[in-house]
This record gives sequence, C-alpha cells and structure tokens, in this order.
Amino acid sequence: MPQTIPVLEVQNLYVSRSGEPVIENANFSVNQSDYVGIVGPNGGGKTTLLCALLNFLPLTKGTIRLFGEDISKFTSWEKIAYISQSATSFETEFPLTVKELVSLGCIHKGNVGRRFRHEDWAAVDESIDFMGLRDVADKRIGQLSGGQKQRVFVAKALARKPELIFLDEPIVGVDSTAQERFYKKLSDLNTKRQTTILIVTHDLASVFCRMSKVMCVNKKVEVAQITSELDANLLLKRAYGEHFHFVFHRHECTGVFGNEH
Amino acid sequence: MNARGFLETSTNLLDLFGYQFFQHALIGGIIAAVACGLVGLFLILKKEAMVGDGLSHTAFGGIALGLLLGVNPLLTAFGVSVLAVFAISYMRQKKIATSDSAIAVMLALGFSAGLIVISIAGGFNVEIFSYLFGSILTIDLMDLTLVSLLGLSVLLFIGFFRRELLSMVFDEEDSRIMGIPTRRLSMVFDLLVAVTIVLSIKVIGTILVVALLVLPGLCALKLNFSFRKTLLAAVGFSILGTTIGIMLSAVFNVVTAGVIVFVLVLFFLLTLLYKKLS
Repeated sequence: MPQTIPVLEVQNLYVSRSGEPVIENANFSVNQSDYVGIVGPNGGGKTTLLCALLNFLPLTKGTIRLFGEDISKFTSWEKIAYISQSATSFETEFPLTVKELVSLGCIHKGNVGRRFRHEDWAAVDESIDFMGLRDVADKRIGQLSGGQKQRVFVAKALARKPELIFLDEPIVGVDSTAQERFYKKLSDLNTKRQTTILIVTHDLASVFCRMSKVMCVNKKVEVAQITSELDANLLLKRAYGEHFHFVFHRHECTGVFGNEH
Repeated sequence: MNARGFLETSTNLLDLFGYQFFQHALIGGIIAAVACGLVGLFLILKKEAMVGDGLSHTAFGGIALGLLLGVNPLLTAFGVSVLAVFAISYMRQKKIATSDSAIAVMLALGFSAGLIVISIAGGFNVEIFSYLFGSILTIDLMDLTLVSLLGLSVLLFIGFFRRELLSMVFDEEDSRIMGIPTRRLSMVFDLLVAVTIVLSIKVIGTILVVALLVLPGLCALKLNFSFRKTLLAAVGFSILGTTIGIMLSAVFNVVTAGVIVFVLVLFFLLTLLYKKLS
C-alpha cells in the first residue's frame, strides 16, 4: 500500500521567528502521493512552516522526520524539490533558456563539477515535455508568460525526479486559465508519478477540487483529508476566523477544472 | 589618415608581431581578457560588479607594499586582495555591513594603506604608475608566467563549475537544497575575483580593471543569447577589445588601458544599437 508510506512526520513542532512563536504544537503526517494544499491567513505561518520543513529555520521544539529520518540527520535532499515564492521573479535580461534552466535541476551532490550524463539530458527533455514546454525550450526565460514561468520552475524541479515537492504560492499574478493548466500538470504529476506535493496557495477552490488533503495554518496546524463529508467551511473558520465564510459546492469543480473529479 | 599613412600603419602593425615584447603583451592581454570575461559575467549577474572595483583599489595597497619590500608587487597585491575579499564576505555574512558598504570600507582602507606606504617610501616615481594604469607592453616573462598560471586556474574553475555557479547566481537557496556546496564555491569564486584582478593589473592597471570585468559581459547580455553563448560572447568581446586596444596603443603610442576601455565602450554602444534595432 504505497499510500500509507509516511514521507513527512511532524510531532509537537514549535517554530519561532525573531523570538516570536509562529508555529505552535503542530502534529501531522503526509504520506506518499498525498497532494496537500496549505492554506491560511497572511502571516499565519505557512512560509515559516515550509522553511522549518526544509531545514532553513531551526526548530524551537519538536521533531520533523523526512522519509523516516530525523531532519537533523537527513541527507537525501535530492529527493526533495522546493519552488519558492520568489522563484519566478528574476531579471528579464537573465541569459538563460528554458532548457538551460531546467538542466540546472539535474545538479546534485554526486555530480557537482562533472559533465552531465546522457540520462541527465534525457531527464531534462522528459521534464520539458511533461510540463508542455517543448515549443519554448530554446526561448530565454525572460520572454515567457507568467504561466509558462511557473511550469518551467516545476520542470526544473522535476529534472532530478524528486519524491516530494514543496511549492510556496507559485501562482501570483497569473490568469485563471494558466492557473488551471498549472494545477492540472501538478495533478498529473501526483497521479502518474506518485509524487507527493505540498503547495501553499490562496486558491481554496483548487485545493478542494484537486487535492487530497488540506492543511490549515494559523499558528496551529490542522490537516484534514478532503472527502465529500468534510465540512470545509467549519475547518476554514478555525484558521481564518469566525467571520470567514467559504461557500463550496463540489459540482463547481467540473466546469472549472474539467471532469477528472 | 591618408592612404599612405594607413599603409604605413598596417606595415607597422604587422612588424609589431615580430617583436617579443608585443607577443608577450598579446598573450598576457588575451589571458587577462579571458579571465575577466568569464568572472565578470558572473559578477554582473550576481549584481556585484563593484566588488571588482573595490578589490582592484585595495590591491593598490598591496602593490605599494610590494614595491616597498622589494617583492613582486603582483604577489603582495594578490595577498591583500584575498584578505579584502574575505573581509567583505565576512562583513556581509555577519551582517556587519551591506555588500556595497563593505566594499567601500575595504576600497578606502586598501587605497589609503597604499598612500601611507608610498609616503613612507618617499614615492616610487614612475613604477607605481605602471601598476595604476597598466603597462602591458613592458610585461616580462616572470609576470607572464604568473599571469598564465592564474589565468589557467580561473579557466579551469569556471569550466568545471559554471553550471553550479550559474545555479547559485540564479537561486542560492535552491542550489543549497540541491546539494551544491554553495559556501565553498562562493569562497573559491571570491578568491578567483582577486586572482583575476591581480592578473589584469599589468594589462589595464588597478584603476580601470573594472572596465575589463564589466563591459564585455554587458555587451554579451545585450545580444539575448542563451547562457552558454553569452559566456562565450563575453570572452569574445573581451579578447577582441583587448587585442584591438593593445594594437592601436602600440601603433599610435598611446596608453593601452585607455584605448582598451574606449574600444570596449564602443562595442557596448554598438550592442546597444543592435538591441534597439532588433
């Protein structure tokens, strides 16, 4: 049963930034091929939580286990890819083609300073094709549209075949068609390659339409399996506050996102 | 220039290649051009072009020290630049000062150290000028050997680690996760900036070395190439500018550094024009 292999286990986690507690007593686990939407109000600690899970920030208390190993001893970082909030904001003059950028994703501990092997270039081509970027492979990244940029960064992350991908709000300033296409690609990745995905987003409809779990973060962390029985409104109220009202009907997913659900 | 003048100049130009001093100058110039083109493009992309300027002024302190002690000034310049580059990254890392302020501090410190050494020594006459403004036409075999070795180290490092450096310039955090030893590579790169500056001192002098670092990369960036082609174009512009500069300066007996900078600025204007038209 691949679905029950935990890739991320968090127990009793406390994280602070500049002495202020940001995450308090988080307990959750994410299994292989989960597709988790991380939601919550601004300043609620979503990015801080991601930073702790990626070992960018020290933990105040608690444990994080990645692929069964304590984060302090974890070394297989090549299994993990991270696409930051600022990834798609770069100088438009930056001299990089799509293919060159995606190929940077093939660098890992074992091949630093060495030539790429044939398999590496094959992985680059495969990622470019998977994300539907073949037509723009030789274009400079500065010439791409917002939606294409997002897909390029996912393609870069995919080039080293990660098992777990973290994305931090990669959909700012992109129109809804491009967003839809982006989420569709992530769904494909999740279902076809069993890649575990954790994505910070404000797009609640996408979370409830496409993803398998929702993680609400506002100092406290609450994770719920997305099923037809789940009371999304009640769950979100606990994270966003009593005034928050989220109307969601499952039938809305068809129409907006096609009929895969 | 009339036709006869031009003909005489071209004959002179060809004659020049027969002289050993000119051959040395060209070899030294091309090595410095390659190193500057390579390192300079990364500095531009890192938005740290002024590190080059800061370090080259700091190197002046080292040159003065070398002249005072009777040691090859390029060696002391190298020592002082290395110290300066590590001081700058230390200040940056420990958040003692921002990058540009740290550079300003080291620039001022190195340059004033040079002035003090000069005044203690009672001046070095013409010799110090050859380091301030370069004197490629007087480069000797010892300097040429040093320049070649340093140039080779830059070429090999960039050759092997260009991809990793590019990844770090583009996204340092992600590069660290990917398993690139970002700290160590940054340190070696900083060291190579110092190396590049020192090997360029004889060619273009400490004051103008920043031009050789920045202009070729800027020209190349205007062409909208891929990274690989941009890097090659930067080296190409650098070699071409330096070679033309050295030849023109030898023929017309004008200071080489100034001519090289003018040729490079001309290239820059042409690439700007190209970008505008295309």
